[in-house]
Amino acid sequence: MDILLSPQFLVAALVLSAIYALIALGLNLIYGTMRLLNVAHGEIMMLAGYVSYWAFVRLGIGPLISMIAAMAITAVLGALCYLTIFKAILRNRQLAARLESNSLLIFFGISIIVQNVLSLAFSADPRSYPYLDTVVPVLGARVELNRLVVLAVGAGATVLCILFFRYHRLGLAIRALIQQRDAASLVGIDADKINLLVFCLGFAMAGLAGSLIGMTSAISPFGGFPYTISAFIVIILGGLGNLLGGLFGAALLAFVEIYGVAVTSSAYRSVLLYGVFIFVLLIRPQGLVGRRAV
Amino acid sequence: MRRTTTALILAIGAALLAPLAARAAEPVKIGVAIAQTGPFAPAAIPTLKAYQLWVEQTNAAGGLDVAGTKRPIDLIVYDDQSDFTKEATIYEKLITDDKVDLLLSPYATPAHFALVGLLERYKFPMVGSTAASSQLKKVKPGYIWFPTSAMPDQMGPELVKMWQSLGYKTVAFATLQSPFPQEIESYVKASLKGTDIKVVASEQFAPDVRDLTSVVTTIKQAKPDVVLSLSFPAQSILYMKAAREQNLDAPFQLVLIGPTHEFFAKMFSTNLNGVVTIGHWSPLQVKWPKAKPFFDAYIQKFNESPDYLDVPLAYMSCEILAQAVAKAGLDKAKLRNEIATATFDTIDGPVKFDGVQNVSTPTMFLQIQDGKAQIVWPKAEATAPFEKKGPWAN
Repeated sequence: MDILLSPQFLVAALVLSAIYALIALGLNLIYGTMRLLNVAHGEIMMLAGYVSYWAFVRLGIGPLISMIAAMAITAVLGALCYLTIFKAILRNRQLAARLESNSLLIFFGISIIVQNVLSLAFSADPRSYPYLDTVVPVLGARVELNRLVVLAVGAGATVLCILFFRYHRLGLAIRALIQQRDAASLVGIDADKINLLVFCLGFAMAGLAGSLIGMTSAISPFGGFPYTISAFIVIILGGLGNLLGGLFGAALLAFVEIYGVAVTSSAYRSVLLYGVFIFVLLIRPQGLVGRRAV
Repeated sequence: MRRTTTALILAIGAALLAPLAARAAEPVKIGVAIAQTGPFAPAAIPTLKAYQLWVEQTNAAGGLDVAGTKRPIDLIVYDDQSDFTKEATIYEKLITDDKVDLLLSPYATPAHFALVGLLERYKFPMVGSTAASSQLKKVKPGYIWFPTSAMPDQMGPELVKMWQSLGYKTVAFATLQSPFPQEIESYVKASLKGTDIKVVASEQFAPDVRDLTSVVTTIKQAKPDVVLSLSFPAQSILYMKAAREQNLDAPFQLVLIGPTHEFFAKMFSTNLNGVVTIGHWSPLQVKWPKAKPFFDAYIQKFNESPDYLDVPLAYMSCEILAQAVAKAGLDKAKLRNEIATATFDTIDGPVKFDGVQNVSTPTMFLQIQDGKAQIVWPKAEATAPFEKKGPWAN
């Protein structure tokens, strides 16, 4: 049991929380706001990962700088997705009525396209590069610096997003849209513009996550799907569309993964994670922080 | 009159030779289905590259020698989308619709297994490549062969022999919950019975694990001489990071799949030194004169180095097929007999099959030393002696 007090575990759990929170952030925005099942989320991350990989290998630019370009590129892709596909669907009453299921198919198609474009451009071989991989002591633990960077940026991005949604007019407008789409439109919120903003933000956040993940693990055109699954678990656990809930969901999953495995066995990792997931949904179907529907 | 006769003879001769000339130039159609998309694509595509390199080299040399006649190769490739349930359907299409003359094998053991019945039904011989499981021995010998010697039931005893020769007494397992790693674990444990080597930790983890800190902590506390990270690349990365962060200092650390992949070397550079991995091929083995030229040609064509297991196996399967076709031609029965009985000269040395198994190539282990993969076991095949894993670099 002494090992549970190990600072190594605490740091590992915090880093993993940040990774989960970061990869869930963009998905939470898009699903929480518009109920769109973005199953291409992981592929968008991989795209951004490749942008940073390419910038590092070809231009010598580190991911801490290239993540801005990666976010910009993925935001543009998000805008294109909305303007060319989803805007038209939302205009059509019949299609809009089946938006959630349609979005699943559309994003599935987008994920395949992104996978294949990346595969053609970079080949299917996994790619990696060493960046800030020095091991540094933190709180009595030893951890690679790039994982600490993921922790710091992940925490920072989540806090900024939460502040944005709590205090900025646009953030408040997005929240209004999440809570009461029709009523929000009645009070003058331009749903079209907000939708576009949400797509850009959601994709940019996926881009940020992908850019940073590429520092700590290998990326490949077909490596995005597991991240999509993790992101869905986190946002469902935390409460759909609730960024703070996503943060709690990420932390819960990460701490269960690190400490639960230490107490039991690594063989039970999936049982523990999905067990907690099901248990939380049984007692709080709306998620850890979500509000029960009236 | 003489002129007319000569012209007539020439015309008849030309008419007779024309089909032969056309026949000589007719391509040999070779078919393969392999994962170009989906989760297995990153691992499978390098093996496809090995096939493409072989086709390019063979065509550049005048074509495939079909019982004395050189014919160009037309490679027909389908994407199985990493879905092994599609394998038999695609290969049946290759045989019946595309009417291929020869087949190359798909990627991974399950894909090979999926074809056993089909090959038997069409009596179509195919040399396998990237299949490694002790279950292969249950495959009825007939139309498929497996050139690998990285077999779990052989690896177990060889590893134990190696540790005994090095004087190691304790071993810890970190095993991915997947058939190949789990088979290796069970064969190693079975081989340990009756020896003085003890298992001091044994952890298993799921494929979607995201952190191995707790696994490595448990292993570190057990202070083993030997650590086996029986993992695939994604989890191997997690092991390497956790082992480095926690300064795991076991002198023998084996990482199953990953260390010979180029992306892995880029990620861990000098920290890979001392890590042992599986493989029975190395370009540094001077006993195999074809090994280094293949390595260099692969790098020249694809601007990246091949891994040391799957890619050589894929290329070897082509070499075996080519040498068999040179002797037996395209007749399936003769070809089958030739593959089953002859000895083949490959980039991995001589290969001979007994049943479905390659019985010429010993089970070997590689160790990364100064960034190069050296064969360190068995001693008779070693390109360098084993070195204890040194401290992790900061």
